[in-house]
Amino acid sequence: MAAIIEPNLQHRDSAGSVARRRTNFVIFLGPAIVLTAIFFMIPVLIDIAVSFTDLDRTLRFGKFTTEQYHKVFRGDPRLAQVIGLTLVYVFGTLAVFNVTFGLVLALTTTALNKISGGFFRGVWLLPRMSPSVLYILLWLWVINPSDAGLLNQFLMQTVGLAKPLDLLTSAPVALIIIANGFIGASMGMIIFTAAIRGIPEHLFYAAAVDGAGTLAQIQFITLPALRWPISFVTIYQTLSLLVSFEYILLLTKGGPFYDTTVYALYVYRRAFASGQYGYGAALALFLIVIGVAVALLGWRFFDLQRLLQRPRIEVH
Amino acid sequence: MAALTELQRLPGDWDGLAARARSLRRAKAAALYAFLIAVSLPIILPYFWLVTIAFSAKTGVADTMVLWRSTAVFVPTVIAFWLAAILAQNRRQMWLAITAIGLIATAAFALLIGPDLHPRNFIFLVEPDFASVVRSRSGVVRGAVQFPSVWKAFGNSLLIAGAQTVIVLTVASLAAYYLSRFQFPARAAMLRSLLVLHAFPVLTLIVPMFLMLYWMGLLDTLFGVILVLVAFELPFAVFIMKGFFDAVPWDIEMSALTDGASRRQAFLRVVLPQVRNGLLAIAVFTFIRGWEEYIFVFTFLIRNTNWTMSLYMYYVRDDVMGVDYGVVSAVGVFYLVPSLVLYLAAQRYLMQMSIGGVKG
Repeated sequence: MAAIIEPNLQHRDSAGSVARRRTNFVIFLGPAIVLTAIFFMIPVLIDIAVSFTDLDRTLRFGKFTTEQYHKVFRGDPRLAQVIGLTLVYVFGTLAVFNVTFGLVLALTTTALNKISGGFFRGVWLLPRMSPSVLYILLWLWVINPSDAGLLNQFLMQTVGLAKPLDLLTSAPVALIIIANGFIGASMGMIIFTAAIRGIPEHLFYAAAVDGAGTLAQIQFITLPALRWPISFVTIYQTLSLLVSFEYILLLTKGGPFYDTTVYALYVYRRAFASGQYGYGAALALFLIVIGVAVALLGWRFFDLQRLLQRPRIEVH
Repeated sequence: MAALTELQRLPGDWDGLAARARSLRRAKAAALYAFLIAVSLPIILPYFWLVTIAFSAKTGVADTMVLWRSTAVFVPTVIAFWLAAILAQNRRQMWLAITAIGLIATAAFALLIGPDLHPRNFIFLVEPDFASVVRSRSGVVRGAVQFPSVWKAFGNSLLIAGAQTVIVLTVASLAAYYLSRFQFPARAAMLRSLLVLHAFPVLTLIVPMFLMLYWMGLLDTLFGVILVLVAFELPFAVFIMKGFFDAVPWDIEMSALTDGASRRQAFLRVVLPQVRNGLLAIAVFTFIRGWEEYIFVFTFLIRNTNWTMSLYMYYVRDDVMGVDYGVVSAVGVFYLVPSLVLYLAAQRYLMQMSIGGVKG
């Protein structure tokens, strides 16, 4: 059938179709290319350009200078602390919640029947489904330092805590890790659940017949099957934790002082709170480079062959 | 010989073994449930209390007793629903049980909490200057935020999310179709850069984007924010849509072409209807993203007539929290419900989308 049709289609190709090919290209791809060029390429160029100026609150260019990069590498005493905190935050959240707890949730909910498993997964998706401002509102309300805070009410009534806790000043880093982790865990949970569902069931039966207990089944069947999803989640969540600061800004505003200011938030505070746009742009450039590098890793995770599959109709 | 005697000895023990296995399995399941309930309660309770407080709190601090009483109804109800869903033998039984539990729970709710319920916390829906009213009620004079009407913020959010959805859907499906179905010189390069762009963290561009909008004169305009959000959402949408287009069989298009349709007609009339699920998923996802957007609108929008719901919520929390939990919760419920409803309605399509593309 196709063999009969194709010559026909090829035939129409040669005549006046070069013009149509061009218009098609413009109609279909034009808008997307223009938007991406304006809002991805140009900002990156602006960022590079601005990082070599001393642009400040007045938003007027002064002179060309490499002063910002000197500051990044030598002149900013706070930067070392910020980077240290960022590492603790990113890897703490990742290790405890995004990967480990996500995995635990996926394993436990898939061990239950469909309805119960779905219910608990739904509960854990709630934080991800709620708007960030609202999610953090709930947190602020739970940890409210007065005795009206839910956590304080609970602890004072059950454990007999004498004085209300003020977690925002006493344990801010733990707080931002947990608040982000509750959201991050659900990402891993969804991806791992899908992967576990994809494991052929007969493998588990065979293992059970051979005498494998639950833990042995997890160790020798489930985990090996999850190798790709786990590295996928690890890499992408590392990136997203590294660049995002929304929940931290809402929860602690980076404080007290600079105690919860991670690198991405530091960029934001330098640029928008202190008005040092030049310095902010220089700091942001490092994040942009990391972002591109990790995004390039995506080539390993997606099936390029399938993505690049050749179209089968040559007519325009 | 030894094995045979072993076998002969066993039968007496079968029942014992089976019973042991059954109780072991039950113990395991119970432990799993206990664990999951323990870790899930801290999530579910604040959301439940948010709703309870929105409808019950008086001015001043939230009434703790109402919270505990409502929890005493809520937790057993959830457990009962879940037991009904598991234990029911068929659909009819399940629906009967669920209706019965729902009625009992409603009755218990009405008896225990009913007298405390009132809609007064939703004053912000009709009174733009509700903050002053709330403050004067509790005698606190504090905060100076001038609030616009909530409907203004609601409209802005709707406009941003709606416009963003329409533009992303149009641009992304056009581009994805072309990338999926046409051969052209730069195709491979474009697909590779698409793959990179769709994973690229756009938040890193916030500083140059701010400057760019300022120089373009689009800072503090809804139009500028919409453009930025559209561009940032685009690579992901194109990527997902391309997957959906790839899955449409070639034969359909082929026969449309032999019947005399042009490629453009074939796209509009024949292929587009085939990817309805993809369009729905992208639409819902983009709309929710626009509705929830906080960081970019917080940075790019300043005037209070340009506030979106997220900014409105933020300033209500900043200004009125501590004075009146009831109003803050009511605004929260008003803000949360649309996105939850959308998520639940489109759950099936969203799942298809988030999992597609990841190598198992």
